[in-house]
Amino acid sequence: MIFLLLVGFGIMALIQVPALVRKRWWKELICYSLLWLTGLALSVIISMGIIIPPISAVLNKYITSALGL
Amino acid sequence: MFLEKGKISNFQLGLLIIGFVFGSSVIISPGQGAGHDAWISVALGLMESLLIVWIFTTLAKQFKGMTIVEINSLVYGKILGTCISLLFIWYLFHLGAMVLDNYASFFKLEIYANTPRIIIILALVLVCISTVGRGIEVLARCSAILVPITILIAIADSALIIPQIDLKNLLPVLDVPISQILWAGHAAASFPFAESVAFLMVLAFVDITENVSANFLKSLLIVGIILIIVVARNFAVMGPMAAITNYPSYLLAQAIDIGEVLTRLEVLIAVNLITMGFIKVSVLLYGTVLGLAQVLNLHSYRPIILPIGILMAILALTTFGNSVNMLNFAQKGYPVYAAFFQIGIPLITLVVAKLRKLNPTGGSKA
Repeated sequence: MIFLLLVGFGIMALIQVPALVRKRWWKELICYSLLWLTGLALSVIISMGIIIPPISAVLNKYITSALGL
Repeated sequence: MFLEKGKISNFQLGLLIIGFVFGSSVIISPGQGAGHDAWISVALGLMESLLIVWIFTTLAKQFKGMTIVEINSLVYGKILGTCISLLFIWYLFHLGAMVLDNYASFFKLEIYANTPRIIIILALVLVCISTVGRGIEVLARCSAILVPITILIAIADSALIIPQIDLKNLLPVLDVPISQILWAGHAAASFPFAESVAFLMVLAFVDITENVSANFLKSLLIVGIILIIVVARNFAVMGPMAAITNYPSYLLAQAIDIGEVLTRLEVLIAVNLITMGFIKVSVLLYGTVLGLAQVLNLHSYRPIILPIGILMAILALTTFGNSVNMLNFAQKGYPVYAAFFQIGIPLITLVVAKLRKLNPTGGSKA
């Protein structure tokens, strides 16, 4: 599974990074790299079976307890 | 700063709004918390949302040709404006993930039971990524084809189920406590009508801005009336079961049987969800990437569409954890959470802009 993820994310990088380097859009390249790395890290974490806290459920818990709903 | 060169017409905007509001409400009925009075709640929600829409279209009219990100920078200054814009962008991103989750949950439960959720989500997200990469004009043209078909299917579904309608299921009217109806009404305003606040990222690209407000309200009225009919129809046919079912419209379409020839029409509801879900997720993805590109002062929003789309898919996988959390959030937390973005940000921005006497061209009179 992790191998498949690396292949997928590798293809993603191959599609866009060369074009950004050719245009010398460094700021876009940094943004892209940060988002790409975040996506890869989260995907690997999920594929390893590590549970990420469900954001909407956490938000709901805080809102309902704060407002007493 | 024009990162988008495309322009859409008022008519295309109207269809895009109708498609967006239909979105996941094609399968999830709004106002269910009010039981058989849900149609009253949806009507109240529609009225509340007309007020909300008036607020943010007034803001868009005052700052013609500007997105909410540019308006925030102008009204609040660079730092505070950027913080508020990032919050708004988060809402669009999170909402996109929630729509994807609804979409995947429906297909996993009703149609593709053995397909992994990520495949269902990726199939939609990749199409949305491709469309958003081609700009707002392409998305608007897609809606011009898909929305009329969806409206026709909704009307046909309702017409074919007429023999099974029992209006006694809607009686007694106003039997549910008024507080419950009002809360369900607010919930119906926050989902799906006022979610159209996402169009604060799109209104800047409408070619003729004179009639935007009227056009926006007209589109919302059309979709609102269709949704009221759909919700009333669901309760009139299914009775109290419509309030406890996750996807009442889908279940109802299964009951259509005209002479044992016209049957299994529920697949049309699934097709509607695919097309309208596509429009909603695309608009939200477009708003997210355009907003982020404007905040970060990028040359183009296109390089970040793919990673943001993938992150949206990842968030969709983890946002609720299970359907109980989803229902809880939809009924309790979401109407409060969404109010900040749907009413709070546009209203405060409009008031501050009026107080600071900022003129439409962007300069300060003072």
